[in-house]
Amino acid sequence: MKMKRLALLVVAALLFTSCANKSMTRYETLAPTLEKKGFEATISEVKKQKEDLYGSNSEFLYYYDLGVLNHYNRNFDESIKNLAQAEKIYEDLYTKSISNEAAAIVTNDNVRPYRARPFELLTLYQFQILNYLAKMDLDGALVEVKRSQIAMNALYQKDQDKVNDNGFLRYLSALVYDLDDEKDDAAISYYKAIKAYDESKMGVPNEVFEFVTESLRRMDREDDIRALKKKELESTPKATAVQEKGQEIVVIGYAGHSPILGEMYLSGTFVSGGVMNLYYKDGETGKKHDLVIAAPPVAGAGSETFHIGFALPEVRDHKSSVNQFEVSLDGKTRLKPEKVMAVDEELKRNMEDEKTSTIVRTAVRVILRTIAAQKAKSATNTGNGLFDLVKNIGVDVAQGQLEQADLRVGLFLPNSFYMTRLPVDAGSHSVSVAAQGPHGETIGVYNFDNIAVKKGQKVFLIVPAIK
Amino acid sequence: MSKIWTLCLCASLAFLVGCSSGGKKVSRIDANSTTDLSGAWNDTDSRLVADEMIMDCLNRPWYQTMLQQKAGQLPTVVIGKVRNKSHEHINVETFIKDMERALINSGKADFVANAEERGELRDELASQAGNATEETRKDAGQEIGADLMLTGTLNSIVDQEGGEQVVYYQVDLELTDIQSHKKVWIGDKKIKKYISQDSVKM
Repeated sequence: MKMKRLALLVVAALLFTSCANKSMTRYETLAPTLEKKGFEATISEVKKQKEDLYGSNSEFLYYYDLGVLNHYNRNFDESIKNLAQAEKIYEDLYTKSISNEAAAIVTNDNVRPYRARPFELLTLYQFQILNYLAKMDLDGALVEVKRSQIAMNALYQKDQDKVNDNGFLRYLSALVYDLDDEKDDAAISYYKAIKAYDESKMGVPNEVFEFVTESLRRMDREDDIRALKKKELESTPKATAVQEKGQEIVVIGYAGHSPILGEMYLSGTFVSGGVMNLYYKDGETGKKHDLVIAAPPVAGAGSETFHIGFALPEVRDHKSSVNQFEVSLDGKTRLKPEKVMAVDEELKRNMEDEKTSTIVRTAVRVILRTIAAQKAKSATNTGNGLFDLVKNIGVDVAQGQLEQADLRVGLFLPNSFYMTRLPVDAGSHSVSVAAQGPHGETIGVYNFDNIAVKKGQKVFLIVPAIK
Repeated sequence: MSKIWTLCLCASLAFLVGCSSGGKKVSRIDANSTTDLSGAWNDTDSRLVADEMIMDCLNRPWYQTMLQQKAGQLPTVVIGKVRNKSHEHINVETFIKDMERALINSGKADFVANAEERGELRDELASQAGNATEETRKDAGQEIGADLMLTGTLNSIVDQEGGEQVVYYQVDLELTDIQSHKKVWIGDKKIKKYISQDSVKM
């Protein structure tokens, strides 16, 4: 009977451990490919290793990563297709599977399908809007603007106490409305962009505020400007020039590489109702830390010791070479685009928002599994000292293997989005964008020659300096 | 004790269920049948809206007035731009094709090619001028000018709360006299859909 139970325990452990944490492997495999071989090679690698690196539980991320990479690679149709598929998966995952949630309680969060972080979803719409704008498909961009608003409303309904707005997405939406000559909708989106920036940590970029002010003044919304409670601008030369000329070139720069998630693994032993000695290794410095806390009482445990291990996700910065741009227009105007979105800050804020629920879920899981493992050990004791020792170590190892933090996150997002708008006359122009490091050193140069700007047109240039 | 083993077994089974995937089945269905899978705008909406709106358009008073003005000759219509301003990527081309079909099949109006098709036809005509035999060559300047242009927009409003969503589509079409720019007919068709999604499943 005991042997049967032991066999069952081994089978269960094997089943769980077969679903290993793929996040680390994914990063370790794909990051070097992106760095050394570029977007095309990374797209091929992602497709080739779909099952090994993503699997069915991370299907959203598979299409999301492909959509982002194809966007950088200017395969806009492919990007649209993949991001639309990711969006569909996100919508379908509104329905939660009880079996998956139950499995996650006894194993780890990686067995649950990945549901996307709010900023990933909103970034998806940003890329989609830019995909359609790059294709000069205004109606397509408008559809994405409307879909993004529905998504933001849904996020707000779900978590009213969390920040689920995005200044850059609102600003981009305003631009699309402007392009469609829907000036009222544009003014509303511009106003909401400032509100969203105010909610975030990064503050309102100067150029954004200038365009917002110009739009609100033009639409006789002076009250809205006052309601923003900001130092009012005396003049709006650039934004006025865009309105007067009617054409502009918009440069969107993607700088650096967004942070990833690493695992903080804590392990230790405790006696029921006594003290718990926990040890953990700092993932970045490699330094070991220990702490002693009060241990929870376990019913009927007596003086036996319990071994526990739990893993929590933590943000790890990815060292980015590029963190600013310099743009020159027709070899003359030189200016520095401003940061319009900080993905690293978005991820940190999301982790902070999720902290309590992650810790509670982890604690419930670890406690349940620890008690189950302890019961299993005593139930399968054979009386053979050596065999029992080996078997009990095996149970602890299997239990430790099951504990994995959910490290899933979009792998190829930039660290920051930069943007600048250049008023131009209709005709042919050239733009050169230098991607620069922290001290202004040039890391790469992106040249756009013979850009044909028709009357009333907004031309979008995309600079993917994911380095 | 047995609870622990039951929990292990249930979790293992749950895990297996979670990892399994269903097979694919294909069956043919009538092209005119009504199918609603995702709740999004689909072929049925496109076909029904086009049929109803064209019928409504051709049965309004402007039609008889124009027949009299043209001494019994059928009015000639061209379909202009129909813009998608909804929240879905809708293939407007299939909607336009549905309207063209409804127009032609009504037998109440003549219908000429749109701007894009005319460009292609003119290219062909130019090509014939230099390459086709004199007997088969078609002459330029013989096109029939349309009397009226049909234009429109497709809008939507979405109201949602949790897993429930109400989507309201409104299609607005306008028929404008090309000579006078007078709007002779304005029609709309509304569709409201209720979509619900369960928050949990097994």
